[in-house]
Amino acid sequence: MTPLLLAPLGLAALAALIVPLLIHLHRRTEEVPVDFAALRWLDILTRPRSRIRFEEWLLLALRLLLVALLGLLLARPALPGLDGDAPRVLVAPGIDPAAATAAAGPEADLRWIAPGFPALEAATPPARVTVSSLIRQFDAELPAGAPLTILVPPVLEGVDAEPLHLTRTVTWRIVGRGTPGPGPAPFAAPTLAVRHAPGGEAPLRYLRAAAAAWSGSSHITAGAGRDLPPRDQVLVWLVPGPVPAAVTDWVSEGGTALLGEAAEVAMPAATAALWRDARGDTLVEGAPLGAGQVMRFTRPLRPAAMPELLAPDFAATLRDLVTPPAPPPARVAAAAFAPVAGADPYPLPPRDLAPWLTLLIALTFLAERWLATRQHRFAA
Amino acid sequence: MARAPLTIPPEVRSRLKRLSLVPRRMAGTRGFGMHASRSKGAGLEFAQYRAYEPGDEPRRIDWKLFSRSDKFFVREAEEESPLAVWILIDASGSMAQADRARPDWSRLDAAKLLALCIADVALMQGDRFGWMVLHENGLRLAEPHRGRGQFERLQLELARLEGTGTFPAAATLAPLWERVGARDLVIFLSDCFDESGIALIERLAKAGREVLAIQLLTVEERDFPFEGGFRFREQESGAELVSDGAALRETFLARFAAAGKALDERLDAAGIRHAAVVLDEPVDRPLHVLFGRGTVPT
Repeated sequence: MTPLLLAPLGLAALAALIVPLLIHLHRRTEEVPVDFAALRWLDILTRPRSRIRFEEWLLLALRLLLVALLGLLLARPALPGLDGDAPRVLVAPGIDPAAATAAAGPEADLRWIAPGFPALEAATPPARVTVSSLIRQFDAELPAGAPLTILVPPVLEGVDAEPLHLTRTVTWRIVGRGTPGPGPAPFAAPTLAVRHAPGGEAPLRYLRAAAAAWSGSSHITAGAGRDLPPRDQVLVWLVPGPVPAAVTDWVSEGGTALLGEAAEVAMPAATAALWRDARGDTLVEGAPLGAGQVMRFTRPLRPAAMPELLAPDFAATLRDLVTPPAPPPARVAAAAFAPVAGADPYPLPPRDLAPWLTLLIALTFLAERWLATRQHRFAA
Repeated sequence: MARAPLTIPPEVRSRLKRLSLVPRRMAGTRGFGMHASRSKGAGLEFAQYRAYEPGDEPRRIDWKLFSRSDKFFVREAEEESPLAVWILIDASGSMAQADRARPDWSRLDAAKLLALCIADVALMQGDRFGWMVLHENGLRLAEPHRGRGQFERLQLELARLEGTGTFPAAATLAPLWERVGARDLVIFLSDCFDESGIALIERLAKAGREVLAIQLLTVEERDFPFEGGFRFREQESGAELVSDGAALRETFLARFAAAGKALDERLDAAGIRHAAVVLDEPVDRPLHVLFGRGTVPT
């Protein structure tokens, strides 16, 4: 618990201590003029006695303290990380608080695995959180040697693919029988809204086939108009010629658009290939545009130009292109996810004392001002 | 500058009744009787009539009164006092020095009050008194006279007196030798720091005048109560000395006492009676030392 200085060179500012000393010493050398007729009996050889004398000791002490504290502030004093070695208990979401209290004992320090690690009774059970990341954070911020117990339900949600590798041996207790939360929402097939030029219905059959392959019901609408679909549908713009500003605006506000090869549009600078054929040639390129996504076929949608239209995986590839990526698996059997000890401990960040020091400086400054501006100081 | 004329504080005035200005050498050559008594006889100023007695000169009989009353009366006039008191006031710059503790009571203020006290005593005795202000710019003097008018003129003179400059040169002092009579009483009020001042009264004493010196000292010269850094400045020469008060004290007090002793011996050798007064003592103290009959106020 020894306080340490994060910037010891700041102590050089303590040289400024000389300033208040000089201020208080200066008055001493003032000579009081006095008429003295018997001057000739004074000893000329007597030098003024160079006795160091300070005036107003209290004020001087306060000023010295003020300067010293400022110098100390520049040196950034800190206390090494603390928080004692008391045992702590983490409770994963999905556990009944009463069951957790019963399992850990009434006086245990119970905290939810949630950002900020709120106390069990102070917060409601958190919603979906990144459990393994939070466990790693809590372990890293805990002083070495503090025992840690983690209460988890039989099925743990919100984990990532990396096994838990912590700095200490953790008591991993499975509490309750577990009521797995609702599973991820079933996959919703995207709906294509195709806009084509009059007479340009030829590519539609491939798109219809792909949409039909996603789900039984029809997830495609087609028309020769220029009206824009709701933003949760995927706009397939096959009209040749310049793309209207309405379409780019629609995309910028969060829509997803797939442009035909004949559409003339300035693609964003970040445009990259999203789909390549077997030879490595780009089939679809695209980039984010505003809040949305704009993509473009580089070839006409004809099997002669783009044989992949007839390939068996066209439907799946098209679906992956126009839908956001599925969430990674985040559910694990808790018994299989017990953490392993042995990671290198992290150095605890020292606690900066600057706020307290600043407060102390402000108080000292006020006291100094009060002392220095008292009335009777000038009355003398 | 209109200032209130200087007056003697009542407690000082009451003590002055115990004083009498008596010269050491009684002058027996002029007139007759004690100078201090109101001896009556031939003179200019009328005093009283008295009955003729055998032996009186016939020319002193007032014949007009005889024609009215058919009795012989003799006119008696007041005898001129043989004693003239000269008050010499040093008005050089050093006399303006006052203590820091009491800046409105300078050496010169004390000298003025002393001069008034002397004049008051002389007035009560019926002696003539005059004064000389020794100033760098010249001598201001008043011939010895008797009476209240002279006293009031002295009051006015003192009210506008200020201590500046140096002690007057010998040439400036020349009129002094013409005025001071051979057996006059000369009272010198000064700090006695100026060599020329001491030389002056020594010469006066050698020339047969009865000289008394009253030295006026400040409290700071006696006690030297200086602590810390001071810039000592002499008023007359402008010389300065910057030093630490406490460091100076011991040598100063020793040297100043030695100088005072040397001055005493010198004045004794010249036959000059002298006394010193410090500004925190009763101002009439030296008068009681010199002219008093026993008790000296403290």
